[in-house]
Amino acid sequence: MSSILVKNEAKLGLKLVAPAVGIIGLLVIYPILFNIYLSFFDVQLNGDKTFVGLDNYTDLLGNPRYYHSVGVSIVYLIGTVIGTTVLGLAAAVLMNQEFRFRNLARGLILLPYFAPVISVVFGWQFIFDPVNGIYNHVVVDVLHLTDTRENLIGNPDSALFVVILFDIWKHFPIAYLLLLAKLQSVPKDLYEAAAIDGQNAWGRFWHVTLPELRFVIATVVLLRIIWNLNRFEDVYLLAPNVETLPIFTYYQAFAGIVDQGGAAAISVIQLLVLVGLIWLYVRKVLKW
Amino acid sequence: MSSVILRNVNKSYGNLPIVKNLNLEVKDGEFVVLVGPSGCGKSTTLRMVAGLEDITQGEIQIGDRAINDLPPHKRNIAMVFQNYALYPHMSVRENIVFGLKKSGADAETIKQRLADVSEMLKLNDYLDRKPADLSGGQRQRVAMGRALARDADVYLFDEPLSNLDAKLRHHMRTEIARIQHQYNMTAIYVTHDQIEAMTLGDRVVVMRDGIVEQVGTPMDIYLQPTNTFVATFIGSPAMNLIEAKIEGDDLVFDHYRIPATKIANVDMHDLSSHDTVLVGIRPDFFEDSALSSPSDNLFEFNEIQVDLVENLGFDKEIMFKLGGEDAKARLDLRSHVKRQEHISLSVDLNRVLLFDTSPQGMLINAGEV
Repeated sequence: MSSILVKNEAKLGLKLVAPAVGIIGLLVIYPILFNIYLSFFDVQLNGDKTFVGLDNYTDLLGNPRYYHSVGVSIVYLIGTVIGTTVLGLAAAVLMNQEFRFRNLARGLILLPYFAPVISVVFGWQFIFDPVNGIYNHVVVDVLHLTDTRENLIGNPDSALFVVILFDIWKHFPIAYLLLLAKLQSVPKDLYEAAAIDGQNAWGRFWHVTLPELRFVIATVVLLRIIWNLNRFEDVYLLAPNVETLPIFTYYQAFAGIVDQGGAAAISVIQLLVLVGLIWLYVRKVLKW
Repeated sequence: MSSVILRNVNKSYGNLPIVKNLNLEVKDGEFVVLVGPSGCGKSTTLRMVAGLEDITQGEIQIGDRAINDLPPHKRNIAMVFQNYALYPHMSVRENIVFGLKKSGADAETIKQRLADVSEMLKLNDYLDRKPADLSGGQRQRVAMGRALARDADVYLFDEPLSNLDAKLRHHMRTEIARIQHQYNMTAIYVTHDQIEAMTLGDRVVVMRDGIVEQVGTPMDIYLQPTNTFVATFIGSPAMNLIEAKIEGDDLVFDHYRIPATKIANVDMHDLSSHDTVLVGIRPDFFEDSALSSPSDNLFEFNEIQVDLVENLGFDKEIMFKLGGEDAKARLDLRSHVKRQEHISLSVDLNRVLLFDTSPQGMLINAGEV
C-alpha cells in the first residue's frame, strides 16, 4: 500500500476510536487520577482539602484493621478462586458427557449466575437463619451433629466462609461456561489416541483434558482474582461484617468517622496490585 | 505380535446396520488392507478392533484373548490416526515415548526405541519441536513413530496418508511397506485408495455397505474380481463392462462376435443358461493392433473410432464406444493414435472376464489365470 493510503487509514482509525477514548477517559482515567490526587489530602465532607503528603499512606500502614482486611481478602480470594475453578471444571467435564436432557441441564447450571444478587442473598440469609433456617434445622434437629444453633452469618469468622460458599455457588457458572466452551473444541481423536496409548479415564483427563484447558484455567483464575479483589455487593449484602478490602474501603470513606483521603489511599494500593495482575494476564496468559 | 480374528462381527447404530456379519482372520505378521468407498464400514471395523467402538454382535480375538469387553487401553494395540492426533502440548520426543512409558518399559528400552524410530523416520532434527511447528508430512511421521515405538500386538492404520500430497503419499507408502516387512508387524490398514490397497496389502479386503465383497491377494482381486463392484472399484481406469448377447458359442455386441470357447475358464454348458452376460475388459489389457504380435488367442476390435486421447506421458488413455457404452483403453507411448482416427484394438481373451447380469453381477468364469 502506498504511504498516502496508510496515512489516511491511520487518520480514519484515530477518528473512529476517538469517541471510545473520550468516554473511557471521562469515566475511567479521570476518576483514577482524581483518586490518586485525593490520596494525598485530608478531605472533609464539605469538600475542603488539606494537603497531607504521604500521611494517609503511613496511617494506613500503621492500622491493624487494614492488615486484618488484607488477611480476610486473601482467604476470600483463595477460597473463591479455587472453589469456582474446581467446581466449574467438574461441572464442565460432567456436562461434556452425553446424556438425556443435557441441554436443559447445561442451561440450569447457569441460573445462579443470572439470578439478581439481592434476591439470592435474602435466600441465603434465610438458609443460615439461626431460628428458622434450614441449615440449623438439618444440623441440629435432623442430624444431631451439635446441640447449639449457630448464627453463622452473625459471627464474622464463620460468615467469611458463608460468603466464600455463596461466591462459589454464584460464580462457578462463568468458569463452567468458559471451560465447557474449550472442552467442546478438544479433538475427540486425542482422547482416542491416549486410550490406545494405554491411558484410562483418569490418565486421559490428566494428559489430554488438563493440558488442553490450561490457558482457559489460567484465564479463569486470573479473571476471578481480579474480579473478586474488587467484589463488593455480594459480600456487603450477605454479611456486612466480613471486612474484605472493598468493604473496609467503603467503611473508611462513607461510614463512621469519614476519611475519604484514607479510603483513596487504600484504593491506590489496590489499583497497583490490580495493575500488576492485569500486566501478568496480558503478558503471560494471553501469550500462551 | 499376534493374529486377529473377527467372528460374525456386526455393528449397528440403532436400527442402522454398519457392518454385517464380518468374518476375517489376520495372520501373525500379515498386512491386511480394508478398502472400500466411504461409508462401507471399513473404519468402523478398525475402530472395533481398537475398542473405540463397541461390538453390537460377534467376537473379536487378538492372539488367544477375546477382547470384546476390554477397553482400548488394555488391548495392547497401536494406531495411526487420519488426523495424526498428536498431543499438542508435548514435544515430538514426548509424543513418541508417551505410550511406551505407560506400558512400563524401562529407561534403557525407551531410549533405544526412540533412537531407532527417529532414525528410521528421519525425525532426529525435530525431536524437541512441538507438533504445531511441523509440516503435515512431518506430523504424519511422528504419528507413525508413536505407533511404531510401541511393542504392540497389532498395528492399526486409519487412512494415515489421506491428508498428504501425492508425492509425499507415495513416499510414505513405500516407507510403511518397508517398515512393516522389517518388523514383521501384524497390521490392519484402512484406506479408500485402491493403489494403497494394492501396493501395501499381503491381502486386501474389499468392502461395500458393511459387507465383505472379496478377500484375496492384490493380484487375485485384480485378475479375478468376484463381482462387478470389485471389478470396477479396483483398477484405474475402471474395468469396461459391455453387455453381450449369447448366440451359440459367441458373445455378440455391435458387429463383434467373440468366441466364448477361447475365453479362459468358461463352462459352455453353464454359459448357455444365460441370455446375456457382461464382458469385462480392463483398459490395461487392450493393445494397439498395429503393435501387437499375432497370437491365436487375440481378439481384434476393428473399426474403433477414437473419441478422445489423454496423454499421460508413458501411457495414454483413449476413449471410444463399445456396445453403445463409453469405454477406455490404456495404450503405451509407442501407439500414435489421434482423436477421430479409426483403429483396431486387440485383447488377449485369457484376460477377459464374464459376469452375470444379476444385480450383484457375479463372476462366471472364475478359475486359475
